[in-house]
Amino acid sequence: MIILAKIDQVMFEAVRISAADDAAPILDMLSRPPAAIEYIFDRGQGMIHVYQDNLRLVEENKRLLRWQQTALALASENTQLRDLLKLTPEAAVSNVTARVIASSGGAFLRSLLVDAGNNVGVVRDQAAVTGEGLVGRVYEIGARTARILLITDLNSRVPVIVERSRQRAILAGDNSRLPSLSYLDPATAVRSGDRIVTSGEGGVFPPGLPVGIVDTVDRGPPRVEPYAELSQVEYVRIVDYGLTDALPTPVATASPFSRHAGPGTADTANRR
Amino acid sequence: MPLQTDNVASSHPDGIPAAHLMPFATTLLAALLSLQPVHLPGYVNLTPAFALMTVYYWTIFRPDLLPPLALFGIGVVYDLLSGGLPGVTPFLFLLSRVAVLRCRRWFINRTFSFLWGGFTLLTSAAMAGLWMLHSVLAFQFIGFTGSVFRTALTISLFPILSYLLGRIQFAPIGTG
Repeated sequence: MIILAKIDQVMFEAVRISAADDAAPILDMLSRPPAAIEYIFDRGQGMIHVYQDNLRLVEENKRLLRWQQTALALASENTQLRDLLKLTPEAAVSNVTARVIASSGGAFLRSLLVDAGNNVGVVRDQAAVTGEGLVGRVYEIGARTARILLITDLNSRVPVIVERSRQRAILAGDNSRLPSLSYLDPATAVRSGDRIVTSGEGGVFPPGLPVGIVDTVDRGPPRVEPYAELSQVEYVRIVDYGLTDALPTPVATASPFSRHAGPGTADTANRR
Repeated sequence: MPLQTDNVASSHPDGIPAAHLMPFATTLLAALLSLQPVHLPGYVNLTPAFALMTVYYWTIFRPDLLPPLALFGIGVVYDLLSGGLPGVTPFLFLLSRVAVLRCRRWFINRTFSFLWGGFTLLTSAAMAGLWMLHSVLAFQFIGFTGSVFRTALTISLFPILSYLLGRIQFAPIGTG
């Protein structure tokens, strides 16, 4: 069965997502009690820290109001410059919010099952994000559920850019908490704390989507701390940037060696 | 304290028929429990192998109520829902069953620490095997730190689940 699943990935993918669709109500039901306990616990903590939280939020609000003024000024300037340059307007973005109903449960997979599928317009290869940043992309899609491949998964390859130096790289997951940057130009130094955003290459993610910051650069390839706390994701936004169908549909006999894709073909063919 | 097994059969001769589904039901529930998203930092790496605990427990005490076909089915369901490669978990369960059955007589009427020791060996071997299998299937070296911690957590939680399964076993099922 293992060998068959490795050979005919498409057939097993269909069976897998169909099983997930059928089991979705049970998984959803089972995930409610822990979610309720967490909610009560969070509420309790909130009550305890309400005074300190209020002081912090007042300060944060003052700071955000100053940022709002700056953002409005920049948005106005941006609009004028776009008009001057006659830039093509960006496609409208729509999104669906989905609840996480199951995780991959183990040390060898990094995926999430969410309770939104074809029924609400989710399609394959759409980006999954939280308020903090990129979480992953939809790689299996059913009628009522979708499976999201996290950016930390062994099979995830995301074309990214180091914001400070505009250096392109591939964010490669290896099932650890911190994915690594590969295909970096050795001549350009990457510093700890550098912001990593999507480059838009490969056509799956739009450019500029926040991914994380460089954590360590000492040993081996630089490691990136994702902005989104992937182990604590309860809800994700599945965003349609109008870029879907950029990736080829996997063929029935995908070669196991196709995982070693170069930067130009990143984020392709690496599917289970 | 020695674990009571065959000698308790007289007090709970056969149990009630519906209760005979408990080994299957608890193993299925344990498998689904492993898939539950728990929002604790790093938990996904450490998710305990609850189903391995129930497979081990029931294979020692009531192997007749958890036949290979049931294990295969639960394993397939787990693989399909977790998004993993179908076949890996049934393979693990069935191999564990064979290994435990071969050593079963050593665990009967022994202390709990003996039972725990056996589970430690089984879990260590199973996790090492899983790690190797996934590395081979992925054609690359996968870090094993997560597997080591997962093994440790699974072994640590075994006494709790074992106690709960014991309550279930001695209440309605009997020892067969």
